[in-house]
Amino acid sequence: MTDKRDPPATSAEPLPPCVVACPAHTDVRGYVRAIARGDFEEAYRIAREPNPLPYICGKVCAHPCETKCRRNDVDEPVAICALKRVATELHDPRKGHAPGLSVGEPKEEKVAIIGAGPGGLTAAHDLARMGYKVTVFDSYPQLGGTLQYGIPLYRLPRETVETEIAPLRELGIEFVTNKRITDVDALLKDGFRAAFLAVGSQLGRKLRIPNADLPDVWVNMEFLRKVALGEKLDLAGRHVLVLGGGNVAIDVARTALRLGAKQVDMTCLESCTTQPAHAWEIAEALDEGVQMFHDRTFKEIVAENGKVKGVRCVTVSFRGFLPTGAPDMDEFPETEHVLPCDLVIFATGQGPDLSFLPQDGSVAQTRRRTIEVNPVTLATTKPGVFAGGDAVTGVGFIIDAIAAGHRAARSIDAFLRGLDPASVQPSEPEELGDLKEKTISHIRRLAREEMPKADVEERKASFAEVDLGYTRVQAMRAAQRCLTCGAGAKVDTDKCIACLTCVRICPYEVPILVRGTAEVVVDQCQACGLCATECPAKAISMTFDNDDDMTKDIRAAVRKAKGNGEPAIVGFACLYCAYGGNDPNVIKAKLPKNVRTVDVLCSGKVDELYLLKAFELGADGVFVAGCLEGVCHNEKGNVHAAQRVAYVKKLLDEIGLGGARLEMFNLSPQSCADMNATVATLTAKVKELGPSPVRRS
Amino acid sequence: MIKAKQKPIAEIQQLIAPYNNVLVLGCGTCVTISFAGGEKEVAMLASSLRIASAMAGKQHTFTEATVQRQCEWEFIDAIANQIKRADAVLSLACGVGVQALAERYPDKVILPGVNTTFLGMAVEHGVLVERCRACGDCVLGLTAGICPIARCAKNLLNGPCGGSQSGKCEVNPETDCAWQLIYDRLGRLGQLDRLDAIMPPKDWSKDYDGGPRKIVREDLKL
Amino acid sequence: MKSGSNLEKVLTSGQFAATGELGPPKSADPEVIRHKAAFLKGITDAVNITDNQTAIVRMSSISVGTMLLGLGVEPTIQMTCRDRNRLAIQSDLLGASALGIKNLLCLTGDHLKFGNHPTARGAHDLDSVQLLSMVKSMRDEKKFACGEEMDVEPRFFIGAAENPFADPFDYRPYRLGKKMAAGADFVQTQLIYNVPKFREFMRRVCDLGLDKKGFILAGVGPIKSIGMARYMQKSVPGMDVPEEVITRLKGVPKEKVREEGIRQCADMIREIREIPGVAGVHVMAIEWEEAVHQIMELAGLLPRPKV
Repeated sequence: MTDKRDPPATSAEPLPPCVVACPAHTDVRGYVRAIARGDFEEAYRIAREPNPLPYICGKVCAHPCETKCRRNDVDEPVAICALKRVATELHDPRKGHAPGLSVGEPKEEKVAIIGAGPGGLTAAHDLARMGYKVTVFDSYPQLGGTLQYGIPLYRLPRETVETEIAPLRELGIEFVTNKRITDVDALLKDGFRAAFLAVGSQLGRKLRIPNADLPDVWVNMEFLRKVALGEKLDLAGRHVLVLGGGNVAIDVARTALRLGAKQVDMTCLESCTTQPAHAWEIAEALDEGVQMFHDRTFKEIVAENGKVKGVRCVTVSFRGFLPTGAPDMDEFPETEHVLPCDLVIFATGQGPDLSFLPQDGSVAQTRRRTIEVNPVTLATTKPGVFAGGDAVTGVGFIIDAIAAGHRAARSIDAFLRGLDPASVQPSEPEELGDLKEKTISHIRRLAREEMPKADVEERKASFAEVDLGYTRVQAMRAAQRCLTCGAGAKVDTDKCIACLTCVRICPYEVPILVRGTAEVVVDQCQACGLCATECPAKAISMTFDNDDDMTKDIRAAVRKAKGNGEPAIVGFACLYCAYGGNDPNVIKAKLPKNVRTVDVLCSGKVDELYLLKAFELGADGVFVAGCLEGVCHNEKGNVHAAQRVAYVKKLLDEIGLGGARLEMFNLSPQSCADMNATVATLTAKVKELGPSPVRRS
Repeated sequence: MIKAKQKPIAEIQQLIAPYNNVLVLGCGTCVTISFAGGEKEVAMLASSLRIASAMAGKQHTFTEATVQRQCEWEFIDAIANQIKRADAVLSLACGVGVQALAERYPDKVILPGVNTTFLGMAVEHGVLVERCRACGDCVLGLTAGICPIARCAKNLLNGPCGGSQSGKCEVNPETDCAWQLIYDRLGRLGQLDRLDAIMPPKDWSKDYDGGPRKIVREDLKL
Repeated sequence: MKSGSNLEKVLTSGQFAATGELGPPKSADPEVIRHKAAFLKGITDAVNITDNQTAIVRMSSISVGTMLLGLGVEPTIQMTCRDRNRLAIQSDLLGASALGIKNLLCLTGDHLKFGNHPTARGAHDLDSVQLLSMVKSMRDEKKFACGEEMDVEPRFFIGAAENPFADPFDYRPYRLGKKMAAGADFVQTQLIYNVPKFREFMRRVCDLGLDKKGFILAGVGPIKSIGMARYMQKSVPGMDVPEEVITRLKGVPKEKVREEGIRQCADMIREIREIPGVAGVHVMAIEWEEAVHQIMELAGLLPRPKV
């Protein structure tokens, strides 16, 4: 792949909902685009930039980006999370964990971070890069917080966490584990100029119902923590009932299953459509045999001689929680029944263990018993002490904690430099509008790549990882579903002569005229590139593909194709089809040395100028490989490409070089097209014509 | 708008043959819209000429530039340096632009790269048709908006002639008979009686027959 | 009398007129004229001389017309708008009248593209309607086109052409009327082969009262060969050749087709003569002037009236 750097498109607003929805505002669009082109290193660099834990996120992020992905309006969202995983897996570690991230001048100030979970690790990473002396305290033996002690191994293997945390150790951060801080004031007196409290929500909460304290009534966080700490819990033959319907409840249920439980059920207030857990996690749980009992409130744990027999429930119609925290619901007492079980595990909520905070209340708490902070700066009520993550929000996503870690690091840095921490926080970006029906009607429907998963029967008996991850080819295909929201064509209104070509040619009916010149409506553009190529005034440029990069690629291709004694053939290959559904690298490696390809996302982007440039640089033959009629990703990019090829063929005949040196091939992405065979026909023709008489001085 | 078509490349090659360093100069208005001489066409032509030159082992260099309109002094003054550096300028503007360059740069060889063809419009993307002959005396109000000077091969004012068949002109079966169109549209407008009146002979002195034309607006002069 | 020509006298006396046609040579050879004129002398009321017909350069109509006068044949010169501007037209007409020519047919002219000089510039300063107005104005008002007066005016019997089968079909009778209003004293139509359709055309023409305003002569002509018939049917715009016409010719052996063509033409003349409003026929035997005599005889049009 080339050294090409796509412009940091996230500098131009409005931004797509995926970027805005990500609490860390990861340039999702940028890294997905890089994968679509097959540049996994570049994708890694972009994904890593705002996120020191990309591998972990690639496996277990709650991916709010996918929830807001505009492709939801078309068919299914882009598999953004899985793509981050592939990029991280294919990243060459010799290129460094954080390519391109800087390290600042060493500073004298010491900063304490309490809690080595995602929030704490992120703040530590940022502050260490800024040059501060950072010490991270954690009460557990291993670093990671919830990553180690809350997320089951079948979702997040230990190796992943360790691989991710290892590079952080090289930043000069001091890690102190098995140390529970109980005196924050002492820390501040002890030379730490600032502190970040990122203790997470480690305490599971039980509901106050009769018999909740019996021995066979467990609670979510403690249960998961024990399993993570290696405690042997044998649930063989047990009938487990998990109270609660959220993500943690699912983790608890599936963990219980893997510990040998004969039957695991879940019950919750919500209905099956409003159950708060992620849909994909609910599906996996159901596949594994977990049964769900919705629309219930729990009145009492039924016991006999101290042994749990079941939970008395009553059916409800639940509408949500009121601001006070109380449930807004109607109960139907006549439906009272008992769900049988012999082991109850509460998964109805958790909160931070704030017992370590100063007794004088100088670090104030909210009514919900979380740490009170200024939402912009994350400053607590004690100067120099900041807090973030679950300790503040109650329960959030890993990526929320990472974002909080960044925010805290900025605040602490400002604080230490005597600046207002609020002034160093970026403003929230402006978001793109919705896709219009008209645009959606033109977008090609593409099925989402299935995530390969471990076989259900095998996986429910062990803690082996369930999701196996995409292959390289799957990843490229998955990435090519991205609509490139907000990073498409831009019109230079100085050059635009309102010839209306772009308005007429766009397959998605996007460009309009505004005050006499064309405008490509940024919310709707699908970045197909047709308008840019067809514009007679060269007034349109593409955010992600530009002439200069293409010229470099063509130059490189011609140079590499020459000097083999065979005709130098340069091909423009559409990534949607030209490699026949295979890994382009594999196909390219099998091509003869005299055939070099330049990749494009859609043959519609191949400008006549590129074809001429290849010949100008001395190519003996040139081809364009596009999709079959009717299956172009952009409806008719391949048709226009064919028209351009025909036009240039005529030109080449007129100047005497010979139009037969140029050919268009239409290939099927389904057929494992052997590009060698296709190109061989052109090579033979070119041989007949002889080497190009173009002499380069 | 003025419509033009690029000259065949063989003809262009002959025109530029004696000159080593040629500036291919495009125009950002009419010829851009005709897809004959805008920035993109300049790039394509320059690339083709480079290939041809390299094929012949020659040392021609081709530079490229495009101005907003070649028919405006200020715009062509702005590229004086580029023009100075070239041995000849191959202008892809219409005849007006080529002449403006020649007038502004009288010591420089200015060559035309397109044939200025007609005043017309794109009835469909890629299909350009003649609509106006700039006769200087517009009678469109009398012919239901269809010009018999531009669209009738014999510029009849009292047509149609006997060669009109199935709405097409005897000269080209793909060309609509302008008078059939006029007849139809006058019918739609309820103005068929206009055809009874004899349109008198045209004052061709208002057309170029009266010599090269000029419009002077005293109210606009600086 | 507008011109006092033989044709005018025959028509105004109410008799059925018959005119012929002579195509000049593509050379400066006057012998061709003498040769062709011999076939037409005495058997028609006047002879049209085409003017660079089909945009092919031939000896000019006025010069041939002058020669015909010397040979005792009354000419009808043709003038197209394609080749001359209004100055040349007026100038030529002054000369033609001074030389004794009295009949004039005003035409637009076939487009240059059909001829042998397709790169020439077509004049088209005037169209046929404007030409008719101009000639009428010269004759009746003694005025040039610019309005200046002349003392001795050219006195022409003015004719126009019309194609009854061209489009828009519904408009053609009105166009004939417009030409008469502009100045046409008589009208010669293009070749008629579809008699029923021509009958319908004449019905409309008579409804408009145009048969009273001017003299309408139907164009007729013999078909030399099946090939010629097919060509006219398929490749000549504005020609309507019904299949029955060709079928009749197919019904005879190949060497008899020419004769049958002549007979067919004579039969058509007889039929057309019965249509109300038709004041005569214009016989066009293209490059076959010899056939005219037999056609006229078979059609019962000989001898021609002496007026």
